[in-house]
Amino acid sequence: MRRALVVVLLALLLLPGAAAALTVNDVAQKVRCPTCNTPLDVSNSPLASRMRAYIGARIERGWSEERIIDGLVAQFGRDVLTTPDTSGFALLAWVIPGIAVVGGLAAMALLARAWARRRPAPVAAPAVSAADFRRVQEELDRLP
Amino acid sequence: MSDPHDAGKDRPQRWDRRRSLGAGLGGAIVLGVVLLLVVGLTNQTVSTSVVDALEAGKRPSAPAFSLPVLIPGGGVGPVDATVSLGSLAGRPVVLNFWASWCPPCQAEAPILERVWERYRARGVLIMGLDTQDVREDGVRFAHDYETTYPSVRDGSDRVRDAYGLTGLPETYLIDAQGRVALHIAGPITQLEQLTVPLEDLLAEGAGAPPKGRP
Repeated sequence: MRRALVVVLLALLLLPGAAAALTVNDVAQKVRCPTCNTPLDVSNSPLASRMRAYIGARIERGWSEERIIDGLVAQFGRDVLTTPDTSGFALLAWVIPGIAVVGGLAAMALLARAWARRRPAPVAAPAVSAADFRRVQEELDRLP
Repeated sequence: MSDPHDAGKDRPQRWDRRRSLGAGLGGAIVLGVVLLLVVGLTNQTVSTSVVDALEAGKRPSAPAFSLPVLIPGGGVGPVDATVSLGSLAGRPVVLNFWASWCPPCQAEAPILERVWERYRARGVLIMGLDTQDVREDGVRFAHDYETTYPSVRDGSDRVRDAYGLTGLPETYLIDAQGRVALHIAGPITQLEQLTVPLEDLLAEGAGAPPKGRP
């Protein structure tokens, strides 16, 4: 009974792995078509169709995603990838949006602080003459 | 004991420095984005200089290239050996850009093969340039259409851009001095499209421009 339970548990553990088998679209969305510059999974160009066939044939041969992408990069260069490289000049494409977001947040914080500090200038009370003061005092005293 | 009002005196100065720093940082970010746009646009530019020069009646130098051999033949090879245009100088070259998935390229392949068979003995080289194609499809194309002229492969589009291609197929006739003498945009449908300018080129010894036009 215990052994059967272990087998069932093992099978359940292996199920997600089986479900996550590599598909053509998994690879295709990471590679762009050189003729129309759109990812292979959405491109209808003849070359995209040939490239998807290339991916499908390699998956059938048991190639890993990394190996298939390396094969396509060897044929078409690194520009074939849908995401920019993480080294060299292409690194800027990753870094600049981050700098822009951090810079924008910092600018917002600085502005908010500056606006919070800006208080309205104190308004001087209008001068009240002694006669007026006395009149107001008398009127107040008359109040029930 | 210092006057508490004195502490406030530094505030405008500090604020000015902070504002200058913020403006500098903002300016640097804007400049960086503009620089990236300029670099991106420059890299995507397709040259039109070859076609423009031809239309002006000149013979521009054929853009140089060094590419791996896809299909060997006519003394060009073996497979994957690098061939440069410069190494082919001294004889007329018919440079034909093609791709296996392109139906007009399939239609013109037999005509190119016939030109190759007729002119190879006279020193003319038909050089295919497979572009925007999966390598194995290119090899299969040569097998299926029984072409025997050599082809190189350009996977990066750099050569295609340097020649200012707008589609496939396109053919350039390059004289023995490495200058572009003729450009044929679109498929070659008749033998004469190539044989007439080739005869002119061979007769003149690369002198006046050939009479043939696409």
